[in-house]
Amino acid sequence: RDTTIRVTALMEEIERLESRRGCRQQHIAPRLRWFSYLCRDWLYEMPLGLLADCVHEEMVLQWANLLFDDSPTGGSLAWLPPKDVGAHTGCLVYPGGQAMNHLYFQNVVLEELPRAQGSPAQFELNGRIRQVAAARVDGEDFVGVRSDYHCGVWRVPGRTGAAPTPLQVIRTSVPATCLTVSPHLPGELSVCTQSGAVYLWNVETGLQRLRHDPQTMYFLDHSPWRWSDFTAHPRVLSCADHTGLQCLDARVSTGGCHFNLFKVGEEAGCQQGERVVLPMYLGKAHPSQHLVTTQFSVYVLDERLPLVPLLKWAHMMKAPPLFAHLTPGGPGRNHKVLLAASHTQELLLLQYQGGSRSACQLVGLPQKLHSFASCLQHLPTQLPHRHHLLQQRLSAPVAGLAATLQEDGPRESLLVFQLSEAGDVFCQRLSHETVETPAPTSDEAAPAPGPAEALRYRRWLKALSKACGEHPQQAWTPALSQRRLFTRRDLETPGDPSPLHSQARQRLRQAMRDGGCIRCWDSPAPQPPVLPQPEETLGTGDPLSSRLTAAWSGDWEQCAPGLPPLSPGPPSVPPQEPSLPRTRPPASPLPDDEDPLSSQNLRCRGIPKERRKTLRDYLSVWAEPP
Amino acid sequence: SHEHKLKFSKSKEVCLSFIQDAMLQKQWKRAAEFLTFYAESLEKDFSTAHVGPSEMIWRIGSEILYHHSCSSIKEFNSFIQQMKTLGIRRYLKVCLEHAFHLLCNGLIDEAYENLSLAESWRFGEETAIQDKEMKLIQAYRGLLDYHSWSKQKNILLEHGHDGFEDFSVEQEMHSCFRKAAVNLKEIIKIPGVWDIFVKCYVDLLEFYGDHNEACQVLNEYAYNSKFPANPNAHVYLYQFLKRHGESKKSLISVLKILHDTVPSHELMIDFNIMLQKSKKRKKRRLGLEVIFAALDYVGWKENVKAWNCLARQVKQIVISEKYLDWIKQEWNSRKDWWPAFHFSRYLAKQNWQENESLSHEKALVAGILLGKDCQYFKYVLRQGCKAQVKRFRILKKFVNKHNSVYLRIS
Repeated sequence: RDTTIRVTALMEEIERLESRRGCRQQHIAPRLRWFSYLCRDWLYEMPLGLLADCVHEEMVLQWANLLFDDSPTGGSLAWLPPKDVGAHTGCLVYPGGQAMNHLYFQNVVLEELPRAQGSPAQFELNGRIRQVAAARVDGEDFVGVRSDYHCGVWRVPGRTGAAPTPLQVIRTSVPATCLTVSPHLPGELSVCTQSGAVYLWNVETGLQRLRHDPQTMYFLDHSPWRWSDFTAHPRVLSCADHTGLQCLDARVSTGGCHFNLFKVGEEAGCQQGERVVLPMYLGKAHPSQHLVTTQFSVYVLDERLPLVPLLKWAHMMKAPPLFAHLTPGGPGRNHKVLLAASHTQELLLLQYQGGSRSACQLVGLPQKLHSFASCLQHLPTQLPHRHHLLQQRLSAPVAGLAATLQEDGPRESLLVFQLSEAGDVFCQRLSHETVETPAPTSDEAAPAPGPAEALRYRRWLKALSKACGEHPQQAWTPALSQRRLFTRRDLETPGDPSPLHSQARQRLRQAMRDGGCIRCWDSPAPQPPVLPQPEETLGTGDPLSSRLTAAWSGDWEQCAPGLPPLSPGPPSVPPQEPSLPRTRPPASPLPDDEDPLSSQNLRCRGIPKERRKTLRDYLSVWAEPP
Repeated sequence: SHEHKLKFSKSKEVCLSFIQDAMLQKQWKRAAEFLTFYAESLEKDFSTAHVGPSEMIWRIGSEILYHHSCSSIKEFNSFIQQMKTLGIRRYLKVCLEHAFHLLCNGLIDEAYENLSLAESWRFGEETAIQDKEMKLIQAYRGLLDYHSWSKQKNILLEHGHDGFEDFSVEQEMHSCFRKAAVNLKEIIKIPGVWDIFVKCYVDLLEFYGDHNEACQVLNEYAYNSKFPANPNAHVYLYQFLKRHGESKKSLISVLKILHDTVPSHELMIDFNIMLQKSKKRKKRRLGLEVIFAALDYVGWKENVKAWNCLARQVKQIVISEKYLDWIKQEWNSRKDWWPAFHFSRYLAKQNWQENESLSHEKALVAGILLGKDCQYFKYVLRQGCKAQVKRFRILKKFVNKHNSVYLRIS
């Protein structure tokens, strides 16, 4: 709290200072002093204009991020499948920790319920992890990790249980937007940065720049987001921005050979405003196929027949799908593609087949899978505050997606892992049912979790409430909320004008028409001065006191309907201490022996001369007992 | 009022998301119920969205009826009839999709009738889009004509052997041909990917002996620059020329263009074999280039035929000791990544376990290109000798004899 200052209040104070410009009197604003004290290390060293520019730039960036944040594109969860056929131990790679800057390699045993084995291998990085990508080449897994200014690559050797080793780290001067790992050659990756550069990164030979172009490819789009992936040819990379995809040949030096793979436009039947969100190489399904998702549709492309999509499907997701995962189907089987959005937690499964011998087509129906926020209703009831905590935790955006096919004898199922931005990994199993429909159906809809799930859930919940007790601050990044900057009233659109307003406007108009001057029209009656609360009457039977009380509070007539008022309206006695008649000890601080109705006394109370007599007469009537 | 409009559009959106939710979870009944509510949105359609409510209702409705357990084709037809009148601009699109739906249910005659009906429909001034959609409708009708033509052709061919001739069948077949040909010819004039239409049209023309027209159509389809680059167009042309015994030269020229656009095409093996046999030096040189380029692609990694082609040509060149510079040139751009891509120890082990002939061909190429100390060659040779397979001993002798080549090309 001591280090937080509300910007609204600060702004108000600065405005007040502005209006006091030239005023001699020193005015001290403690909040401003505190602000300058807090910012003393940097505030005066920086030219204010420059600082303002920087702040402005940052705010524009933050605002754009609030609308659509493409930095987590690709997702930061990877599954390294078991090394040997028939083995059951795979590995999940994901970020964790308060700042999501710890990289974990957790061995997971695939059983009825996937189970973590041992404690994870852990690496601390000096930046928030944005993306984790993995590929297996020659039996070894290569894991690429992207944070804003650093990209690193780890190798997980082929032996089961072997420790991952970091291979190399590169630093970029502008934030990297993409990191993909080659499925063809060991230790090869592709990196894109916000400056529009695309690099082929080989652990042994270093970086090779394939393109450097801050402009977008097909039409002007302001986003600096770039993406690149591998293709059927290990030396040819696909390169994407929001307007489309191109293929670049690494054998030809910069800016050389390329061909267009996908263009947002007429050929693909795109809508207005449609933009590429995530391209993905589908090499495991078919060597020359690529997936492209936009905020409206999903396309399957073949690099041999560029620009004309083989498949198009409008996904109708509420948020653009930032994460995708392919589970190849093998000969004669469907390929399964999972699409996931970040903030809405939407998760879709679609299946397609074909591409080489037969035409590419969707098989069965796309299916919606459960989001982890929706499982709350199936969980045991909690105390309200816990429920709220749980709800908050479970509604964190999705940060990563992975899946694996688990074959357990004749039974086959698809395990889908999801990582939330709060650092939790969720898993759901889709079982294949041959009897009813060829498409797998989710068995997650069971009303209550099994005993094993329940146990694990309880453990997690316990840890969660403990952790939250210790650190009430949330682990995920603070988002800039506009409510902090502007009060609700600032943002409110002016409501219907009050009748007074319209009346005023009408009169103004009238005055303008007549060419007259604007009179001070019937202004609302000036607020009556705040009357002091009458003393609590002790004797309820005393009619005088009650009448006087009524007179003080202004509803005189109600109390004495028979008596005509002496002056129009309630008596305009200055609202000072009530000067009560002698029957009651006066509550005024005035000495008792002094006549409260003496001219001097009344004058010092500011009562005009002409009224003094009236007042005296009036009060003397009441002094006599009724 | 404005507020009312806002509320209305909001509830419309919510309703749509409910429908979508139900559909994605295969709850067709629920989806159908929500759709009946959504139909109200037609009343005040203020939207300027890309897909308006009436189109939504059409698309969602036909999807629901397609999957709903209690729906019948009759119901579907009546729904579509309503949809046709709902959006005049979409009329042709709806007709086409209706025909597809009928075809999926095996109702070919109904689909044909539907398409014919749509063809006679006219509305206002013909727009470019309408014109294109009309062409599509005609083309699909042509396709159905082609279908009945080929059915009748098969009947005639079967009975032809019995010496029995049915004139009415023959008459009808010819009339089907005429109807199909007229419509198919129209659509393939428009730039686009029309593989199925082109194939059917060429089949018709070939049957009636109009080879010139067929050749012209295929050439146009392959080489017209207004059409999207389509490797299939070159494949159809190649297959046609091959069927009609055209000269090697023209076949090679077609495949050369295919090689330039798609170096990873399956036909590259045929192309390489054709070129290897050639007497011309230049063509043999091209053959080496073609097979090297094909093996660059990940889809060819385990193709025994391709490795066999490369091994054979490399062997030839090494034995003749001429043109070693061809290999050198090809190898130059690949020596930094082929060893890891093709000749790693891991792959040697895997190839040996899965496919012995593949590992033999690859070992030969590896031995020549990387020398006898290359990991791949060493591993495969050791395993081969252990298993006492004769061809591996010959391989060892050959590579040892020509080990100097590796020094000369690198």
